[in-house]
Amino acid sequence: MINRNDRDRMSDTIEQQRQTISELQTPVIQVWDRILALPIVGGLDTARTQEMNEALLQKIVDTGAEIVIIDITAVPVVDTAVAKHLLETVAAARLLGAEVLMVGLSTRTAITLVHLGVDLGGVITRTTMAKGLDLAFARLGLEVVSRRGASRAAASELALDGDGV
Amino acid sequence: MARAPVLRIGNTLVVTVLEDLHDRDAMSLQTELLGQLERTGATGVLLDLSVIEIVDSFLGRMLNDIAAGVRLLGAQMVVVGIQPAVAITLVELGLELRGVRTAVNADRGLALLRRLVNAALYQVTMRPGLDGRNGKGNAHGHR
Amino acid sequence: MPILGEDDIVQSRQHAREAARQLGFGAVDQSRIATAVSELARNIVRYATDGRGQITIRQLTSTDGRERTGIEIVVSDEGPGIPDIDQALSDGFTSGGGMGMGLPGTRRLMDEMTIESAVGSGTTITIRKWRR
Repeated sequence: MINRNDRDRMSDTIEQQRQTISELQTPVIQVWDRILALPIVGGLDTARTQEMNEALLQKIVDTGAEIVIIDITAVPVVDTAVAKHLLETVAAARLLGAEVLMVGLSTRTAITLVHLGVDLGGVITRTTMAKGLDLAFARLGLEVVSRRGASRAAASELALDGDGV
Repeated sequence: MARAPVLRIGNTLVVTVLEDLHDRDAMSLQTELLGQLERTGATGVLLDLSVIEIVDSFLGRMLNDIAAGVRLLGAQMVVVGIQPAVAITLVELGLELRGVRTAVNADRGLALLRRLVNAALYQVTMRPGLDGRNGKGNAHGHR
Repeated sequence: MPILGEDDIVQSRQHAREAARQLGFGAVDQSRIATAVSELARNIVRYATDGRGQITIRQLTSTDGRERTGIEIVVSDEGPGIPDIDQALSDGFTSGGGMGMGLPGTRRLMDEMTIESAVGSGTTITIRKWRR
């Protein structure tokens, strides 16, 4: 027999765990000034999309992000429903002045979406996060430059001394 | 209009919506704003919604209409401060406000407005194809 | 809460938002609920006879074992009624297009919506949302 206090505690714990799982599944990461990354792991339903959107939008406000890179590599199924949820995220982020790039689209997903007649509504996509970052930097007028000279030589010396670096 | 005062700062009109607007206030705002654009020749409008917690389909459509009107008058508009809850609600209502440029706050909004106004300038004065580029792509020299 | 004119649209959505807040709904749900009420209140002002109607807000407690709190808003009028409810609920009549009553959009914002209406005898729309 479970008494009321136990039941409330259990219910609170479950709620807390649910939230932790939720945050772990869709962490919003600031990878650079004005650039956020949102790697999605697992399926995407209405409830999850809603939570994801709230977290993402708040992060956009807090960090002033202008570009959001959504990574769907780890989303197993991308069908019409999932695409619709993603488009909602894109639209909401746009209202906060942030542009959304989508990366991690597999060949199979691309074929599925074309087959289903899903139009990603002009969302820019790239196959990998690296390519997405590249585009994000370009959009913000940033460039990654290789360092030459002393500091580079020092770094390679460290690599020779160190273990498995 | 008391509920959404329009301030002129240089070539920019700054409108801060201070209260939940009745439908007729929203319509007055449109008239007022477009009228001032015409009178002053301002090139940019910054519309601040950061205090507004409820934006329904009427106001949503008004924002679209105001943006269109501003464009017709040859100016640029950026809406700033849309609250996350408002953004989500609008999207769920089916209003994406595609024709409205937005920024997360007034600071970014003004920066974007500057870029948009400059780009628009280049579009008018530069002939496309002159050096293989069109006006839009290369106006963003300073970011 | 009576709806007598345009000014009551703002008042009713503010009331709804406050009620939602007091019932513990989060910011986004408060916005959804307030916006849904705004849409329905405007329908009354636009389409009901003399633009008059009634809005009632009340708290819900579920009885299905799980203790959940919810909000229920009943919007009614003695207006002309909706001739084709299915059509009004179809996406061709969204508020985005500037025509129609915005019912599909309102439906999407809430968990439940029921419409009772008949030509000549008014309309009653009930919307509900549960706290997650």
